Amino acid sequence: MNTAVLQVEDLRAYFRTRYFGVKREVRAVDGVTFEVRADEIYGLAGESSSGKTTLVKAIAGLVKPPLQLVDGAARFSFLPGVRTLATASPDVVRAVRWSRLSYIMQGSMSVLNPLRRIRSTFDDFARDHIAGSAAEFERAVLSHLGKVRLDSSVLDAYPHELSGGMRQRVTIALATICNPQFVIADEPTTALDVIVQREVLGMIRQLQQEIGSSVLFVTHDLGVHAALTDRLGIMYGGRLVEEAPTAQLLREPRHPYTRHLIASLPRIGTQERRDGLPGGPPNLADPATGCRFHPRCPIAMDVCRTVAPDLRPSGDDHRVACHAEGAGP
Amino acid sequence: MTALLRLDNVSQTFNRGGLLSGQRIDAVKNVSFALAEDRSEIFALIGESGAGKTTLSRMVLGMQRPSSGTLEFEGRAIPTAPGAARRNFMAKVQPIFQNPFEAFNPLKKIDRFLFLTAQRFGGAARGAAADLAVDAALERVGLLLAEIRGRFPHELSGGQLQRVAIARALVSKPHLIVADEPVSMVDASLRMSIVNLFARLRDEMRISIIYITHDLATAYTISDRLLIMQNGAVVEAGDARAVLSAPKHPYSRALRDAVLTLDSIGLFAAKRTSNRVTEDRDVK
Repeated sequence: MNTAVLQVEDLRAYFRTRYFGVKREVRAVDGVTFEVRADEIYGLAGESSSGKTTLVKAIAGLVKPPLQLVDGAARFSFLPGVRTLATASPDVVRAVRWSRLSYIMQGSMSVLNPLRRIRSTFDDFARDHIAGSAAEFERAVLSHLGKVRLDSSVLDAYPHELSGGMRQRVTIALATICNPQFVIADEPTTALDVIVQREVLGMIRQLQQEIGSSVLFVTHDLGVHAALTDRLGIMYGGRLVEEAPTAQLLREPRHPYTRHLIASLPRIGTQERRDGLPGGPPNLADPATGCRFHPRCPIAMDVCRTVAPDLRPSGDDHRVACHAEGAGP
Repeated sequence: MTALLRLDNVSQTFNRGGLLSGQRIDAVKNVSFALAEDRSEIFALIGESGAGKTTLSRMVLGMQRPSSGTLEFEGRAIPTAPGAARRNFMAKVQPIFQNPFEAFNPLKKIDRFLFLTAQRFGGAARGAAADLAVDAALERVGLLLAEIRGRFPHELSGGQLQRVAIARALVSKPHLIVADEPVSMVDASLRMSIVNLFARLRDEMRISIIYITHDLATAYTISDRLLIMQNGAVVEAGDARAVLSAPKHPYSRALRDAVLTLDSIGLFAAKRTSNRVTEDRDVK
């Protein structure tokens, strides 16, 4: 059994606002428990507003009002005794940020400073974490850029001079140059077209293998998860509804939401009609009682309207949050 | 036979940079195709970002004049200058844009857009006639005027907003809809309901649709014919199923093969040939 690098326990992060005495609370992440093991790529899938990005932000400690960390823990194995990064002291955060834990963000254009050359951006991000002279640092950067098939010419370029695929490769190189133990990748390939995406995904796996790090990979694209991730968690309405090794989850989905999601994907080669899911995504400011999926669920029972199902083990390494699965509550 | 839409050797070039140091970019190069008037169809335009799909669609909508070549709609050149001809054309050719959250002004109520379209292009000025026209269009997309009236864009989900955008396009009873990446911002669980809606518009209302996308799977499912573009030029065109089942051009083949589906399980799986021990990791 692999050891866990990240352990998330009952994490709750809400957006809380108060204007003119009117309080609003959006429960973007509402009781999520899972672990990311050593040397694996863990995928998180779910539609927009299912809480994927809020969850990774809470894990990375990027919690700023109106987002509040309400409860729970996100423990990293390299930070024993620290409950969450969001509540840790700035010194602790500074010690691990980028060197042990790094983040590949979605919009490569908004991550890279448009007024600074790529060389300066590498200085900004990684110089503090890598010992040695400036020349040694540059050599390290260049050899690392080689791993994502970029040459020294990009160092002198400004972000706008690079194509979307090259920019995303630069951000991947940035995030992995310190050989971090844990990398969070939030929709890193969504803005790229399919041919470039394939190339970038291959690089992420290759780097993950070389460094031996764990990756938390977020995307709504199940095709990407199928190709890349080792285990997969499906989020719906701020909760994890199903989790299993990726191949198993895609071949034998157990939660009705996952089943529907997979059945609704169109494929090249089949002409049969695919239907969307009826109803709309849940309103997290006023979530449904009980299971959040029950208003759209084809097999909803009475208990689903009142009691929220826990994420329970169901078979080998498979967890499902559904009353219809296994024994009742 | 007059075609609904006919493009003949259409090209568009842009100049970038200064007069001396600038360079010419061919965004669209010699594109020709025609949509028949008597047979409604979904015509997909496919290609990577920068292939010229959106530039082509802007020319079809008359938002931009081509550098060379001709575009004809129902036998007449597409009008780009304001006037009665342009208004008449806009009623018959309606756009649907990529991001429904950006397509509507967030500070205005959403029914306003429907009524404005009814007023300008639908012939229904105000009151009960306008209500009826708008309600009929909303019913087509599975919504009710009562649900929408008085709501602001942020109160609706992305899927609902995109359906309102489609309803707005339907108010003027168009012959052609140009949909630029209409489902790329919509969640996977709702994507198919929008795509199926397009098929219904084609079959029931006889509306032709130019469907711009980089999603080959939905293009395969609903479109009748398609055009694959690369760097502004058409590399392959023809019957959608035939082309995607057996693409001939190397680029279309690369595009088709790069699509990741549920069958791509383990494509980039870890290669665990060496018995790696996690403890002796080399951490800097």
